[in-house]
Amino acid sequence: MSNTRRGTKWGLAALVAMLAVAFALAAPHSAYALTTNKATARPNENGGSGVIGGLATRLTWEGTVEEGEKVSSVTLVLPEGGTFDGSSTKITVLEGLSRAKVEGTATPADTQLEVTFSEPIEAGYLLRLEVEGMKFPADGGEVSVGGSYVNQDGEQQLAESKPIKTIANTPLQALVATLDEAPWVQAWNSNPFLGMFFKPQLLATAFATLVPGWLLCLLIVVIAYPFAIVLGLIFALMKISKNPLLRLIAIVYINILRGTPLFLQIYIMFFGLPMMNINIDNNVLGVIVIAINASAYLAEIFRAGIQSIPQGQYEAASSLGMNYFQTMFDIILPQTIRRVIPTVTSDFITSYKDTSLLSSVGVMELMMFAKNLTSVSGNMTPYVAAAIFYLIVTLPLIKAVGYVEQRIANSERGGGPRPKGKAAVKAASAGEATPLPSELGVHFEAARDDAFGTSVSPLAPVAVQEV
Amino acid sequence: MSMLTRRQFVQVGSIAAAGLLAGCGSSGSDAADAAPQAADGEYTVVNEGKLTCISNLFFPPFESMNETTGDPEGFDIDVSKSLAEHLGLEVNWLPSQDFDTLVPTIKNGGKADIAIAGMTITDARQAEVDMSDPYVDSNQSIVVKAGSTETAESLDDASKTIAVQGGTTGADWADENLPNATKKRLSTIIDAMSGVQSGLYDAVVCDLPVSRYQIKMSYSDLEIIEEIPTGEQYGIAISKDNPGLTAAINAALAEMQEDGSMAAIEAEWFGSEL
Repeated sequence: MSNTRRGTKWGLAALVAMLAVAFALAAPHSAYALTTNKATARPNENGGSGVIGGLATRLTWEGTVEEGEKVSSVTLVLPEGGTFDGSSTKITVLEGLSRAKVEGTATPADTQLEVTFSEPIEAGYLLRLEVEGMKFPADGGEVSVGGSYVNQDGEQQLAESKPIKTIANTPLQALVATLDEAPWVQAWNSNPFLGMFFKPQLLATAFATLVPGWLLCLLIVVIAYPFAIVLGLIFALMKISKNPLLRLIAIVYINILRGTPLFLQIYIMFFGLPMMNINIDNNVLGVIVIAINASAYLAEIFRAGIQSIPQGQYEAASSLGMNYFQTMFDIILPQTIRRVIPTVTSDFITSYKDTSLLSSVGVMELMMFAKNLTSVSGNMTPYVAAAIFYLIVTLPLIKAVGYVEQRIANSERGGGPRPKGKAAVKAASAGEATPLPSELGVHFEAARDDAFGTSVSPLAPVAVQEV
Repeated sequence: MSMLTRRQFVQVGSIAAAGLLAGCGSSGSDAADAAPQAADGEYTVVNEGKLTCISNLFFPPFESMNETTGDPEGFDIDVSKSLAEHLGLEVNWLPSQDFDTLVPTIKNGGKADIAIAGMTITDARQAEVDMSDPYVDSNQSIVVKAGSTETAESLDDASKTIAVQGGTTGADWADENLPNATKKRLSTIIDAMSGVQSGLYDAVVCDLPVSRYQIKMSYSDLEIIEEIPTGEQYGIAISKDNPGLTAAINAALAEMQEDGSMAAIEAEWFGSEL
């Protein structure tokens, strides 16, 4: 007990001592004639927000001249490893919000930057130095900018700035740096078209940085779609129901959603709901908007699919004593699903692409990342990279739709598997018919069996066979 | 307005067409007048006899679209008209485009002669395009919902969302000075301010003249919590392939300062504020 108490006491004493030291250190700051307001660095990580050492960036240093002082020159000093060499400095002197006409010259010399002014800066003025093209130490870490200044009494020390967090180079940045150096890249980029749309450095950066956005796009549409299918089916059934009220609700819902642009729906949901104090996470709201929008289109697809099933099947079902729900779920819908699969997949592709509209309301999806990168780089390459990310998903789906459509078309016109043809049977039994036709025949049959035997049968409506 | 009969309509139409033709004729002669100038100033324009301008038209009071006609209006539009007048050209405004596409568009050339869009002169932009001499001073500001307790320090937190317009110096400022906050880059400052109004974002960082004007005109429930002196200056972006036009624009800007037309435009859009 007494031990711990003593420990606490010692701890308190240490704390007091530390505070005293801190105050002692802090106190002289107020005595500076040129107060360091801040030093910040522009993030120079391609597609990121980090400040990387050893790569050119811009340092912004601000200081205020205190009461009764005149400052005629300022020298900024970087820690060992940093350099001002090759930098250019923009000197801005402000009184309040207005620019003062003070000229100055900046002389970089390795870790030092000396800025001298044509006339001393008066009290109350804010001095802003923007040093473009300087480099922080390559190994990263927290970097403070210190230095000195000259006032009427001679040279004085500057307070160290609050540390700037810098990071060491990343593999991606290293790759970009190598690409920057490569002669073929320079030749490639000298072509205005290739340089603007297919800049290799930016392609590398974009592929690395767009991935989270791409995954979010996929996540949004993959989560939204099952909801959209269920909603769409409900509204499709409502639209063909005999109850006029249900029909009316479905018609209003479908027509409003299909008759207005998704872009507008997004704006209404994202800006409207918060105004009614309904705050939903942006990504969740994105899922909701996409699901609701897609549900209207799916409702129409399902309705058309259901109505494409011949009336005779309803009659046959009712003659077997099936009620409405049995008819729907056992006979009509299984056939509908098969027929609408291509259209639904196309709609899925549309919805996936439509997630790009969410970028306008700040959802961090693919388009948003591409826009950010473009606005930082002033180059179109990130959009091309985004296009590739969209195509990775849409091209295989388009291919799949075409394939399924073909198979369904075949089966609808009765092109499915058959008992072996006469020629093949003959060839098999005789074993000596001309080889070419028989081989063709066998191949043909085998292909058909494979295609239809496996994947169509689960979808094939059982009831139809009964009928 | 009374209904026109078909005959009257045809007459009116033909008069209008005649006027239009006359207009073409006179613009043609303008171009002819401008031709010798072009010869000694050595500049080219995309459309004969016209100064074709692009901008993002959602940046009042510098650029906006008239509520009823949809025509561009604002400080920069008046500057462009006066510039065109001084150059002996006709002003031609293209539809609004995103701010961050302006510099690439001018750089690639062929679409527009100048981008005049409340665009700060920065080294990064000067690496891509020529910037004219400065014509307006600007600063940055942080805008939040009125009555909010946020400060510049409290906003630098991972839980905060800062809306900015993509490609602007405000976006750069937020990246540099609020590194921990989430930044949302939007297409227009209007989206950003509406978002703060509805609580979607915690703050907007944008040019001070714009935030002042917007709060005065339409967003009375927002307030500026910090006026950030950056001393930045707006310039006009011109393709590097057209140095003659940059020289001509700079000369025209200087003339406008001298003959008072710039002061008149400032008075119209900023009153005594500037």
